[in-house]
Amino acid sequence: MNDKILVVDDEESLRLTMKLKLKAAGFDVDVAEDGEAAIEKLKSQKFDAVLLDINMPRMSGIEALGVIRQQFPQTETIMLTGFADFSTAIECLKNGARDYLVKPIDTTELITRLKSLLRSKSSEQALFEVQRQYSSIFFNDMLGPLKEMVEALDRALKPKGKSDTTQRDKIVKEARDKCEKMAKEIQVLLDFSSTEIEKKTKEGISINTTELAERLKKLRENMS
Amino acid sequence: MDTKAKNIIRYEYKFQFEHGRETNFNVELDAESLELLGSADAPRPAWTKLNFHQCENCPLSSDVEYCPVAVNLARIVESFRDNVSFESTVVTVKTQERTYVKETTLQKGIASIIGLFMSTSNCPVMDRLRPMARFHLPFATSRETFFRSISTYLTAQFLLAHKGKEPDWALNKLLEYYKAINVVNKGISNRLAKASERDANVNAIIILHSFGDGISYFIQDGLEEIEPMFSVFFDNVEIPEQSNGGNVSTPSGPAS
Repeated sequence: MNDKILVVDDEESLRLTMKLKLKAAGFDVDVAEDGEAAIEKLKSQKFDAVLLDINMPRMSGIEALGVIRQQFPQTETIMLTGFADFSTAIECLKNGARDYLVKPIDTTELITRLKSLLRSKSSEQALFEVQRQYSSIFFNDMLGPLKEMVEALDRALKPKGKSDTTQRDKIVKEARDKCEKMAKEIQVLLDFSSTEIEKKTKEGISINTTELAERLKKLRENMS
Repeated sequence: MDTKAKNIIRYEYKFQFEHGRETNFNVELDAESLELLGSADAPRPAWTKLNFHQCENCPLSSDVEYCPVAVNLARIVESFRDNVSFESTVVTVKTQERTYVKETTLQKGIASIIGLFMSTSNCPVMDRLRPMARFHLPFATSRETFFRSISTYLTAQFLLAHKGKEPDWALNKLLEYYKAINVVNKGISNRLAKASERDANVNAIIILHSFGDGISYFIQDGLEEIEPMFSVFFDNVEIPEQSNGGNVSTPSGPAS
């Protein structure tokens, strides 16, 4: 699916030209004529990034940026700035805009920066997914069983009579099996880490975080 | 009849702002050469010097003291140097044939008149746009400007073919011209940024730049959008030689 971009500018010719350029570069594009119209569009559709003009009537780009950061934090914002707007553009960066471009906008620069921003956004999301998968493995597949083992072993350490011996043997055997399973899982994770991350890093091969997250997800499915 | 008046094309621009402020500009073109008249009397502030932020592709030699585009723009740029681009204004444009009135942003109003000044300035790069000045359409949308631009170019190619020369029906050179025009637009926007305190003038140039920037994409994708409007030309329907008493009927119903 193509990345979806919202172009916000009060000038029709700039909206149309940017729409044509971005469509030619493979993006899905929608346009809005000011901040208010942009917020309305964001309420009804999900956009990956917004190209936001700073100087607009009704709701300015700066005001719109505030609302976007608050209500649509998953949407990235690039500010479009014209004459004498540099200090405002810097202020926008401080307030959560990811980048700014100076008009008249160079097409190659626009496409390059937008793709780079979206790539970095998807890498961030993938890294978050990797972290989520790892946390889930440690929490559900290791910490949970470990706590159960501790509780079971505590019970085994407090025998209530000779008849409990059989029960204690059963608990110890279950604990041993769980330990063995966990050791195997840790080994699988270490192998994965070694082949997918360490080896590639040493060989200078860039790591595709989206792919990494997918492989980790499959690995976990196989483990369970 | 005043023969002098007959040979002049006039565009009278009036900008009306809130609180009653009003600014007027008269554009007079020689009807044959489409050259801007009266530019000799234009003010020449320091930023109009040719070597002040000179365009990268400027073909003028160093013995030319002033940039012809900058000189043509001087009066309007000085008038709006302190204005904000999206300031609301009512612009009235009077021509010999009709009057246009539009409530719009200042940047759009300035872009409209600036386009006229730039294309008639004798800048060798902007000269390619000069025929469009005769059919100037104030406050044109992008699509209208793209259409006028392509139509003007194709008319030039037809005239070229008529003279026995090789026409460029594929519009290749049009795109080259616009690339060069946009280098000038960018150069002028740098120049105006130094001459203005606020963004109205610069943003007007940015609007013109966007036309030049978008035309290749319009040819690529936008023409498809308007193609259905031209379907009547694709069907190869023969027009009857004799009319039926002035009434024309079509198979689908009465003529619209």
